[in-house]
Amino acid sequence: MSSVLNCLAAIVLGCPILTLLILGLSGLIQRPLPERLVDRLTKFHVAMGLVATLGILGIMIGTNHSMEVLDLGNFVEIGQEHFHFHLEFIFDRLSIPMVLMTFVLVGVIGSFANIYLQSDAGYYRFFVCFSMFLVGLLFAFLAGTIETLFLGWELVGLSSALLIAYFHERTSPVENGLRVWGIYRVADAAFLMAALMMHHWTDQGEFLRMVNDQPWPQGTSHLDPLASLSVGLLLLIAAAGKSGLVPFSGWLPRAMEGPTPSSAVFYGALSIHLGAYLLLRLAPIFADSLVIRVLMFGLGALTAIYAAMTARVQTDIKSALAFSSVCQVGIIVMEIALGFWYLALVHIIGHAFLRSLQLLRAPTLLRDYRTLENAIGGRLANGQPAWIARMANHRQIQWYRFALERGYMDSMIDQALLKPFRKLFKAFERVENDWLRWFEGTSRPRRQDP
Amino acid sequence: MFVHHNTLHAFEHLPFELAVIEGWKKYGAEPYLSEDRYRQEFLRGRIAREDIEQVLAKDLDHRAEEPIVLGTTRYELRLAMLLHPIRNAPEEELRWFIAETKALREFRDDVPPNVESKVIRSVQEWMERNSKVTQQFTQQFTQQFTRQFTRQFTQHFTQHFTQHFTQHFTQGSKSEDPTAVSSPEQWRAWTLEWLHRVCIKGASLVGEVLNDTIPVRRHRDIVLGSHGIDCDVRVNEQLIRFLGSATDQGFAQWGLPDRDRPLFELFQELYGVRSIFQPGWLKELSDLIAQDRASDRSSIESIVHSLESLGLREYGLDDFIDSTLLSLPGWTGMIWQLETNAEWTPRPLRDGSLQDYLAIRLLLDRASLRSALGQIAELEDRPSLEQGSLSMERLAQVLAFHQRRNVRQTVDQRAFILFQVAQLLGWSPNELEALSATEWQSLMDEISHCGTMERRRLLHLAYEQHYRNEALDAIASQPAPVAAAVPTTASRPISFQVITCIDDREESFRRILEEIDPAVETFGAAGFFSVPMYFRSSSDAHYIPLCPVVIKPKHFVDEIGQLSQQELQRRQAEARRVLGQASHRLHMGSRSLAAGTLTSLLGSLASLPMVARVLAPRLTSRIRELVARVVKPSQATLLLIERITPEASIDATASGAAHYREAKLDQEAMLNQGFTLEEMANMVERLLGDLGLHRFARLVLILGHGSSSLNNPHESAYNCGACGGGRGGPNARAFAMMANDYRVRKILQTRGLEIPESTCFVGGYHNTCTDSVEFFDIDRLAPSRHMDFLQAQSLIDQARERNASERSRRFTSASLGLKPPEALKHVEARAEDLAQARPEYNHASNAVCFVGRRLRTRGLFMDRRSFLTSYDPTRDGPGSEILTRILQAVIPVCAGISLEYYFSTVDNAVYGCGSKLPHNITSLLGVMEGAASDLRTGLSQQMVEIHEPMRILFVIESTPRAVLEILAKNPVLDRLVSNRWVQLATLAPDSNRIELYQDGGFADYQPTSSAIRVVADSYACYHHRRDHLSFARLGVQ
Repeated sequence: MSSVLNCLAAIVLGCPILTLLILGLSGLIQRPLPERLVDRLTKFHVAMGLVATLGILGIMIGTNHSMEVLDLGNFVEIGQEHFHFHLEFIFDRLSIPMVLMTFVLVGVIGSFANIYLQSDAGYYRFFVCFSMFLVGLLFAFLAGTIETLFLGWELVGLSSALLIAYFHERTSPVENGLRVWGIYRVADAAFLMAALMMHHWTDQGEFLRMVNDQPWPQGTSHLDPLASLSVGLLLLIAAAGKSGLVPFSGWLPRAMEGPTPSSAVFYGALSIHLGAYLLLRLAPIFADSLVIRVLMFGLGALTAIYAAMTARVQTDIKSALAFSSVCQVGIIVMEIALGFWYLALVHIIGHAFLRSLQLLRAPTLLRDYRTLENAIGGRLANGQPAWIARMANHRQIQWYRFALERGYMDSMIDQALLKPFRKLFKAFERVENDWLRWFEGTSRPRRQDP
Repeated sequence: MFVHHNTLHAFEHLPFELAVIEGWKKYGAEPYLSEDRYRQEFLRGRIAREDIEQVLAKDLDHRAEEPIVLGTTRYELRLAMLLHPIRNAPEEELRWFIAETKALREFRDDVPPNVESKVIRSVQEWMERNSKVTQQFTQQFTQQFTRQFTRQFTQHFTQHFTQHFTQHFTQGSKSEDPTAVSSPEQWRAWTLEWLHRVCIKGASLVGEVLNDTIPVRRHRDIVLGSHGIDCDVRVNEQLIRFLGSATDQGFAQWGLPDRDRPLFELFQELYGVRSIFQPGWLKELSDLIAQDRASDRSSIESIVHSLESLGLREYGLDDFIDSTLLSLPGWTGMIWQLETNAEWTPRPLRDGSLQDYLAIRLLLDRASLRSALGQIAELEDRPSLEQGSLSMERLAQVLAFHQRRNVRQTVDQRAFILFQVAQLLGWSPNELEALSATEWQSLMDEISHCGTMERRRLLHLAYEQHYRNEALDAIASQPAPVAAAVPTTASRPISFQVITCIDDREESFRRILEEIDPAVETFGAAGFFSVPMYFRSSSDAHYIPLCPVVIKPKHFVDEIGQLSQQELQRRQAEARRVLGQASHRLHMGSRSLAAGTLTSLLGSLASLPMVARVLAPRLTSRIRELVARVVKPSQATLLLIERITPEASIDATASGAAHYREAKLDQEAMLNQGFTLEEMANMVERLLGDLGLHRFARLVLILGHGSSSLNNPHESAYNCGACGGGRGGPNARAFAMMANDYRVRKILQTRGLEIPESTCFVGGYHNTCTDSVEFFDIDRLAPSRHMDFLQAQSLIDQARERNASERSRRFTSASLGLKPPEALKHVEARAEDLAQARPEYNHASNAVCFVGRRLRTRGLFMDRRSFLTSYDPTRDGPGSEILTRILQAVIPVCAGISLEYYFSTVDNAVYGCGSKLPHNITSLLGVMEGAASDLRTGLSQQMVEIHEPMRILFVIESTPRAVLEILAKNPVLDRLVSNRWVQLATLAPDSNRIELYQDGGFADYQPTSSAIRVVADSYACYHHRRDHLSFARLGVQ
């Protein structure tokens, strides 16, 4: 039975990788496949993956297994540094629903995009990024080690940023893509540090070893409080960056630059939940750390309130949906912090489907509103909650401006993060230049930029 | 609502060619297609050589034969430059091109061998004559060649290798007498090298051509030019957010507080206070607002103050304000529209909003500029500029901004163009060498007068002429009217008559109907069928105008349920209302905090409709329809077209389905409900007169049209233009009801218009996207008419399938061999597909508008590119009253459509709205590209991708005299025609003589060919073809 399972698991992972390889390589040698073939290839492989996952699920239910591990051994091993890059994939109660959802959503959006982007100049580029995204997502969801998770996490980030800049002939998609990429890098840096620390403290990156080989969500970690606190904090930052929690929420509406289907699947539904998934996967490890859970809850609550308020004042459909997504992710993080892990899982999946459908339908908004107006027989009420109307006028204006300006999150990051960062490195540059001149002996140190 | 409209409407007082150049200067938009594109069209035969020759000869007129140099006339010179691509490139690329390609070793590919050998021979002869000079030249040449090689290779090869190479080369050249043994290749290279040098010499005699300076219109241009800081970026981002809120038509759940106040006040209130974490430049903004408030300035005073502090004088003020407003043209236009022309929207703007907007923009500009200057001062370690008047001159001085005058063409560039022209015309270097300075000057002038814009203009004229000739030839090849008129006399029975809109999309539908049954007659009239009205259907909440935008309807028409159905309809309406409110709550709730959590938790349910809709759109829509039947308003309705007293009107609408509507019926609607019998008779008389319809079949179908599609913010652009972007079904229905009314017929009889008792009218609606046709009020047909109707309906059904098949050939996602029934299914699925970016192609490829009797175009395959307006010149009065009123409607409407397509095609990024893939609906008003951008107007790339941009050609069956008279009396039409925004030709009513309008008069048109393709039927014509098709005569008639 286990060989059948391994075989199916290989299909689940192999098919998308094969798609990516075929599309990527044929693009690389300047022989892009025709649109029809790209479509068939993508559909076939997604369908295969979906069927294989269902097969695994069926066998596991049948044999009453709650976990299946696919170990591909070490990718890199550095003996004396005690480091190994271990590729290991887990099929369990958490990852299988996520993978099923991924295949369904990606399959649907793929066939949507095939029609939507037909004969567009970037059709091929889209599908290359799209399959890269799928591979990344599967790696991230199925990862059994923190290294594997990081690999998937990076692929998702890269393909997302490339798709935001899909219309690269205009400036704003490229600028916004770069900005999102920048925030992803902050999240990546935090993640990487967390991974290294974990290796440092536990000598391994396998989730299962950390929780004594118990299937999710059982088991607890044996990290000491300080380690769990620092790793937890870093992972929280990583999740916040990737999932657009406060203070990183500003990137999500900016991500709506790409074609509608990519906005739907990436930012509305899947990659926005990646941070929440990370927290969910590692939740057993931090279950004992009250500080982390309180922080997590606070961050989630803050995000939910902030995003709910901001979403209300948005006047364009895609930004409104983006902030609504952030709001729900905030609530999901709260649920994780409170320990309602299954609820969070259901919430993630439901939210992903709902938001995808809403984003796909976004261009039909005018018609929907007309239909509703006709059904109701008058103009639509905009549903402004009563508590806003009760506010004093100047308070109302203050809060309105706060929401309209999206809480100045972007400017806050610019001022609190970017500016000191740039200043610091400018200073380094000056020092370095001074030293160079001094070494050369050509002139005495000057305090002036070259 | 979306209505097609000339994009450069504001420039209509200028001739077309000047206006497009104005647009180029003002908006940076392309005036024509690219030269490469025309060149491709030339290569594939879409532009013929003769077209270019004729266009050029006509354009140059008497200047054509003037000699320029070496016996070449101006005509020959320009022709060579038009027929062959002239390569021009930036200096660096050119240098690379000359060094790395065979440009100086071989003649251009398109130089004929005889010209090439003639030039070489001429050089050879010259050399023989001047052998001394030859020696000298050879030396010079080799030296230069060596230098060139050395320069090229030093970087890549060792010194040793270069030396060796050079030695070898020099020896090789020196050892023999060049004239005796040189190979043809060497001769060729020498000739070309020499030619190029002569060209450089000639070009340097004349010098460089300088560009006009890049205009500095605003302070922003200076800062951008000197320090690369674009002050507009943050201003635009801020402004878009604010304007989105200020103009929101009800999307946001939390609207701008007190948004009924003037924009300027709202802005001051919102941004007057500082806020934590706001970016630095907004602090400057709140300072500026505080100053304004302290001096209690109104918006106009604030504008004046801003202009003063920006150092603007009287001079250049207009230009400054123009370009300030044009930094976000879409939003600016929308504010103006909302202020002046939008009383029907839920939230129009107050008077003076545009002025407020300018004041706001200037404040933001100033804040951004001040902050940028502070930034620069900090960066360059110098004291910040003291505030006060900051004129552009001073700013430029402080920032050390020097306007660079770009060199438009360097000597090398001009020389290279000259070099190519010389090859094409077979000028030999020895001849050129002998030119005098004045000759050089005139040659270079001549070449620069035929620059790329000029070439594009001429190529465009040729492009238009080619199609125009095809169209006119095809019309001229039709049987002459005297012979053709015979079958329409009483002898031949008509099975039924169909009246459709003039729309180009109905051309195929009419043609196919006539093809299936040759005894069918079709007519075309503007799709509101002379019934201008405000209409409200039984399931609609609001009245919508159904008539061209230039007409303001005075009558209101309601649709109500039939008496027996009213109870059912009331229940359905109630159910719709409950469901509507529930789904609206769901819609809003899913975006909020608590309700959003609930909906998200159940969100997996959304996967079902999503998967179904994306994977099987047609099936899903069928199922939805089945379910929706429970609440869908039943077909059993009535139109209240008859004038009734206000009291009765309330009774009628209240007893009907209208009771659930907002209680206050519009006062105006109450007073003007329906038409009087007299008005109805007038409308019927008018339409029948326009059509020239005087011999009636037993059944007359009248079909309005519209289009439905999903996920399409531009949906209403696909509807009937003559109904102001609405769907024309109710107009057709109303017209049929009027024409069937015996009292109306009685009135008409007294006026001499006899509609036989046996004739009955049936109104219908043609959906041009799904190709469905639905009929109204057929339950009221007399039983004796049932057979007639059923026969007609089965013909219509066949025509729908074939029409769908003809349309499908254009869709790349439909395979080419689609059979008609499959094609119908395909187009039905397109309309229901959320993913479909091209539900149909709308007016794309429109090119002609024919005004005249159908028999003049009947049996002609026009590839859905022609508007067809029915008009019978033989029944028009001496003053051409009928033609006048037809042209008054048709020329502006069709010109608007054609020109909007023209501009959106030639520059989709500026005149059009770009790709629709990233479109984002904002404020329920318009679309932005991606996260935040200017509002995009015009047509999307997906709408125009198959369009051939041409000015529309009107062919009017009338005499030139009559048309000129009409133009003289109608300045609006005259402006379009005499400024060449449209092309105009007349077709004589009694012969096939065609005359073409040019420069205020008409000139005879001589058909270029009499042969026209003859094919069996439309299917044979378009079968397995995707591209544009030429005219053809359909064999079976």
